[in-house]
Amino acid sequence: MKELQDLARTLLSDGTVQVVIGWEDGPTGARPVFVTSPEGADKLIFDTRCVHNLATFLSPRRSHVARLGKAAVVVKGCDARAVAMLLRESQIKREDIVLIGVRCGGVQKDPASKEPLTAATVADKCTGCDVREPHLADHVVGELPQAPPNDDARERFIEELSAMPASERWEFWQTAFARCVRCNACREVCPLCTCERCIVDKTQPRWIEPSAHPAAIMAWQITRAQHHAGRCSDCGECARVCPAGIPLDVLNREMARILQIRFDYTATDDPEAPAPLGAFRTDDGQEFIR
Amino acid sequence: MARIGVFVCHCGENIGRTVDVPSVARAAQGFPGVVVSKDNKYTCSEPGQAIIREAIREHMLTGVVIAACSPHMHERTFRRVCASAGLNPFLCEIANIREHCSWIHEDRGEATAKAIDLVRLAVEKVKRNIPLETISIPIERKALVIGGGIAGIQAALDIADGGREVILVEKEPSIGGHMSQLSETFPTLDCSQCILTPRMVEVAQHPRIRLMTYSEVESVDGYVGNFDVTIRKKARKVDATICTGCGACMTACVQRKVSNEFDEGLSKRTAIYTPFPQAVPNIPVIDQMKCLRILSQKKGKQDACGKCLDACAIGAIRFDQEDELVTEKVGAIVVATGYSLYSIGKEQDSPDISGYGEYGYGTIPDVIDGMQFERLASASGPTAGKILRPSDGKEPKRIVFLQCIGSRDRAKGIDYCSKICCMYVAKHTMLYRHKVHDGQATVFYMDVRANGKGYDEFTRRAIEEDGAVYMRGRVSRMYRDGDVIKVVGFDTLAGEPVTIDADMVVLATAIRPRPGIKDLAQKLSISYDKHGFLNEAHPKLRPVETNTAGVFLAGACQAPRDIPDTVATASSAAAKVLGLFSQESLEREPTVARVDISHCAGCFTCERVCPYGAIGHREIRDRQGRLIKTVADVNPGVCQGCGTCQATCPSKSVELMGFTDEQIFAEVNAILA
Amino acid sequence: METNTPQPAGTFEPRMVAFVCNWCTYTGADLAGTSRLTMEPNVRIVRLPCTGRIDPLFILKALERGADGVIVSGCHPGDCHYTSGNYHARRRFAVFHDLLQFLGFEEDRLTFSWVSASEGMKWKDIVDDAVARVRALGPFRGYDREAVAGSELAGRAA
Repeated sequence: MKELQDLARTLLSDGTVQVVIGWEDGPTGARPVFVTSPEGADKLIFDTRCVHNLATFLSPRRSHVARLGKAAVVVKGCDARAVAMLLRESQIKREDIVLIGVRCGGVQKDPASKEPLTAATVADKCTGCDVREPHLADHVVGELPQAPPNDDARERFIEELSAMPASERWEFWQTAFARCVRCNACREVCPLCTCERCIVDKTQPRWIEPSAHPAAIMAWQITRAQHHAGRCSDCGECARVCPAGIPLDVLNREMARILQIRFDYTATDDPEAPAPLGAFRTDDGQEFIR
Repeated sequence: MARIGVFVCHCGENIGRTVDVPSVARAAQGFPGVVVSKDNKYTCSEPGQAIIREAIREHMLTGVVIAACSPHMHERTFRRVCASAGLNPFLCEIANIREHCSWIHEDRGEATAKAIDLVRLAVEKVKRNIPLETISIPIERKALVIGGGIAGIQAALDIADGGREVILVEKEPSIGGHMSQLSETFPTLDCSQCILTPRMVEVAQHPRIRLMTYSEVESVDGYVGNFDVTIRKKARKVDATICTGCGACMTACVQRKVSNEFDEGLSKRTAIYTPFPQAVPNIPVIDQMKCLRILSQKKGKQDACGKCLDACAIGAIRFDQEDELVTEKVGAIVVATGYSLYSIGKEQDSPDISGYGEYGYGTIPDVIDGMQFERLASASGPTAGKILRPSDGKEPKRIVFLQCIGSRDRAKGIDYCSKICCMYVAKHTMLYRHKVHDGQATVFYMDVRANGKGYDEFTRRAIEEDGAVYMRGRVSRMYRDGDVIKVVGFDTLAGEPVTIDADMVVLATAIRPRPGIKDLAQKLSISYDKHGFLNEAHPKLRPVETNTAGVFLAGACQAPRDIPDTVATASSAAAKVLGLFSQESLEREPTVARVDISHCAGCFTCERVCPYGAIGHREIRDRQGRLIKTVADVNPGVCQGCGTCQATCPSKSVELMGFTDEQIFAEVNAILA
Repeated sequence: METNTPQPAGTFEPRMVAFVCNWCTYTGADLAGTSRLTMEPNVRIVRLPCTGRIDPLFILKALERGADGVIVSGCHPGDCHYTSGNYHARRRFAVFHDLLQFLGFEEDRLTFSWVSASEGMKWKDIVDDAVARVRALGPFRGYDREAVAGSELAGRAA
């Protein structure tokens, strides 16, 4: 898309940024690209295969990206939510990045897919999207497409799970989690996993064992969900990259629902909005407390 | 290599009857790291303590566990014992095998097994304790008092008389507060100004009190013993160093129609003014919103007026004067900002509060509030002390007083009682009768709350000697009928509705915190309740302290309060300040949090959850001065040791000494071994 | 207290850990002791300064190590010795509780309560009630603990 490429070319040639992080066409579909020269801007694309959340490359853990210099990052409206959280948690400074927002009408589950966007192929996170025009951006490019096809499969699945008796639910999650090999792909791809030393890697004391035993896996999965509550931007990347196909995004969605119901909180691209687990109200619900 | 000593107490029969103490001691001997394990009948006794001291020396112990009563009883005792034997007192842990074991279980086997688990828990914890030293912080022995009403005045005088310097900051041009507006005070009917003004003068002349009027606190940084305060001295447009207070400028001022706040809008004042004749300091201020010259300057036009400039014989008027910011270092702060009154109009200071449409939202002439009545009754007021109707200046022969206007009314958003109204309404009826001998006062009340010294006798006097008629019930509405105000209410004791004709109605309005109190509270990191009243550290045991060390409360900023109680809290706060200043340095418990800077990712979620604002930012730089990262930093002088930061930190890069993750991990493992 | 080997039917006694705050619940438990209120002996208390310090990791570790049930208790909201520690804890626990519920964890194993320093009787009731509920559920087998106990996860040398 020309508007994006032209913008990237200008930002690079006039030295505003040293790298533009966007998407390119790769042998296995759309993939992230780091464009460091104005000529390279021609590689930049944006289409329905651009499911990845490029905000992850802004995480301070990725010092190799930081070494490329000041970055411009192409963000969909949902990706901007992750950027907002990174700003809120002082992991990046607003003046150190340039945000190129792209108007988006939904993306595929599969970045390799050349299929048209339908209810069957659309990513779960696109249902009910209200940020097709990113708010947190220095520039916004592209035409505003139609709204993505609605597929509330994830919501329906959560309802199904919630309706099961507790023991069946436990059985479902134990089975799903049993496939976890503790590869940490979910952790590596997540933009909000910015801890210099993850709790899993803390050895003194070892709260969470790194092995694939059921107890260790459960401690990991529960802690992951708990640590992400109120910080997750629901980009769904963790579920997409999980080699074991664990429905992590279902868990994330449920956490978001819990926060919405209890604390009236929805993930937002406003960096000033306070996170729910760093704040409180004196009248917060406590029906579960005796 | 750990060398732990375990001392299990029988506590006479209290523990020994249910727990097999010798077998607990024997079991403890086998715990990894334990080198000596004894049992004793009364471990807290002198011989018991001597045994511990001896064991520390003989076995070169690196930690001690006492299995006995609750730590709330004797933790301090045993820590002192350890210290006296040369062992750091924080290397001592208590296993509670009395309140939490022998006293609540009956089965000897169960209780003994539990006691063994609890001792194992304590041993595993103490092996991971590190020696801690109490934290010493220096103290700046100067106090800041915010607010110059009777509370601030009393606190300032007490601190200054105690030998310490005080800075008293007051936002109005004069000190005195609401008490200076009152005519006579209950229960003695003393003239308010007569008892107040000598105090005001004392403040002005006291060698250790620095008075900054027409000034406000701009910002507060730092912590107990070491506050950095920035104060904005607003521009009076008058040179206070040469002004003699002669008043010629006020006589000459052309702008004479400004609503007089001191008289609650019942009279007018000039643009250059002192709030009242006994003002301290007696230096006028120019109201920059009303002065014709300043208004013309703001519009960019030619300078208007300037009569005061001509009138001033010594040239003290300074139109070019600007606000001045001064910074001061103080060790303690007393907040004494007082109260304001609930508005009888439609506009309220908070969206949660609503007004009384039933009473005309203050649009009916001659419906006034209690403070306005005080001004009428006051000899220095707009009517020289005569009770006259604001509308036509006639003397009212019938006044109806309504109690609980706003107070105790959930529908209006105020559910508390304002404490002083029952008393001042009784006072008003008495002042009225003393001034208008044939005047009839009627009071609509829900209760009469007169519970201070001499208070009940006072209210009875109003009824029995000064003829006030007390009617139990509320007024449902008021309206004007010609010259008369019809007050429609209900007499619950007679069980029938009544309509009283009144020439004037006085509403006893609710006491509210001052508008803007929340901003000040946030600057000081102190908390307030849903109404805005400032929170004390503990409602019974610590009524003048806040949860922020070094910040104290005096007077009505904390809750509705009368003058005797206000003076009492002010003196209490002063005592706390003097107590703080009398220490050589501040000794703090060292069980505070510490940041692990190598792992902190600088997300500052801990900063946001700390109840005390004890966490700040710290830059980590390399040898060339390049910034590597910015991490969290805990101020050990402010941290109170709750540990919320650690539980919130996802990577556990901040640890609470005495309750570290390692210790708790070891305790959990020990219990379930 | 036996370890997590299967017990003869009808003799299962739950092993429970309680994480409590020092100022309210710990003192309330002291009061229960001073008042000689008899209660179930299955609970071992770990003392924390504030519920704000209580981490879901503690609860997970206790369950992993062999606890059949956990109690978490502190000051009533508004009464926290550190003003707002328990408000933060309340939100944290609410999210944790709802998360566990969604995963199908047996809710009766985890008890949250507010017990003040003057509520000795309430502490006794909380303890007795929690123990009874966990006893009815039986031992916690949720993690297939035999595998855990046999691995290097079991215990840590002093």
